Amino acid sequence: MVIGSQRARPDGATVAATATAVLMALALGMIFFYVPTDVDQGYSQRIFYFHVPIALTTYTLFVWGAVNAARYLWRRDQSLDLKSYIPMHLGVIFGSLTLATGSIWARISWGHWWFWGDTQLTTFLIIFLFNCAYFMLRFSVEPGERRATYSAVYALLGVGLIPLSVLGVRFAQRNELIHPITFNSNGANMDGSMFLTFLVALAAMLSLAVTMYLVELRGKRIDDRIRAIRRLAEARA
Amino acid sequence: MRAYRALLRKDLLLEWRGRELVPAMLAFVLGAMVLVRFGLGGETLAGGTRAATGLLWVVVVFTSMLALVRSFAQEREHGIWDGLLSTPADRSAIWAARATATFLFLALTQAVALPLFWLFFLQEGRSPSIPVLVAALLLADLGVAMLGSLLAGLATHVRAREVLLPVMFLPFMLPLVTVAVRLTVDTISPQTSGLHTSQGLGFLALYDTIFGLLGWALFEYVVED
Repeated sequence: MVIGSQRARPDGATVAATATAVLMALALGMIFFYVPTDVDQGYSQRIFYFHVPIALTTYTLFVWGAVNAARYLWRRDQSLDLKSYIPMHLGVIFGSLTLATGSIWARISWGHWWFWGDTQLTTFLIIFLFNCAYFMLRFSVEPGERRATYSAVYALLGVGLIPLSVLGVRFAQRNELIHPITFNSNGANMDGSMFLTFLVALAAMLSLAVTMYLVELRGKRIDDRIRAIRRLAEARA
Repeated sequence: MRAYRALLRKDLLLEWRGRELVPAMLAFVLGAMVLVRFGLGGETLAGGTRAATGLLWVVVVFTSMLALVRSFAQEREHGIWDGLLSTPADRSAIWAARATATFLFLALTQAVALPLFWLFFLQEGRSPSIPVLVAALLLADLGVAMLGSLLAGLATHVRAREVLLPVMFLPFMLPLVTVAVRLTVDTISPQTSGLHTSQGLGFLALYDTIFGLLGWALFEYVVED
């Protein structure tokens, strides 16, 4: 009965996956064939359309995880624990990608793989370390309500950490701004076609994150259900 | 408030009778400073007092880790948790008492460590402004104690807690140390960092406020069972 109704209507993950495939193909096409080459940085500037959307997706995933952590502590609904954990998990994947793409870009345009003077780079590293610690904590506690609570508490501490890191690192650096300023108070600091490409790439990345989220959520739920069924079967036998 | 006072008294009394934490922290601080001294190249310090002041903060962080790992150790080892939790006392009072005790231990250790630091590193060059350094240390201690007590509570029921606590704690130290080092080092010879002393101290106070509020609000969830 349940399976039948799922077949009749495509579920969220399928829709998201289709949207991601379309958007990603469109974004790749625009990045390599449509958008003009940057005057200053040349061809290599195109990594911008990967790097920045991935970084923004990481931040979004983090906020998503923290919001669901707060909701978990409020409502005590076990499914919210999963909904908080999965964005954090995906955040580590996207975070690693941000550091990797950023590092490649830094090597090409600044000549170094890493530059400590840069605010965004350093802040991102702090967040990444925080995310790793979240995992260590989560896998050191037995599954159950306690693990859910501890993970949620730690995730919420991150909400305090991130603005402080941005502020602190900005205070302490000697105002060395080598990270390109893409957005300022006057809006986007780029050409119309570049901005359009950027938006499409961002949409593609976000929808990829949503797809991965839905797939992982479904996997984890099936996992839980199988475990429950097995327990039931063992109890009967 | 009465619960807080009683719990704080218990923590201080236990330390006074057992003397297990503060002497260990003092020995650690001394050892770490000697290590830094040799690590930076023997007689003349590479980088001078600027490098030394930066490293003082690293030593401070690692020393505070020692205090945090032992935090709630008595409660755990002697089964005091159940007794504590069965009292009608507000859970936040447990956190506040623990944070206050940790703050006092840290301040006490630094009261000894700071003259040593001067003796080892600062005689031969320009010293950072001592009032700023003391104010920054006290503000940092407060933040470390409040955040650390919450994390120590989290780590109480966790596997491999001695390893996990530093891993959870260090990311939170990065913004603190970044600002504290810049703040104190800049008083030696001002650089064009654009960081005023009031800004730096204000940041540390903001740090304390944020983690004070978070610790106070979240500790209840940590010890609920």
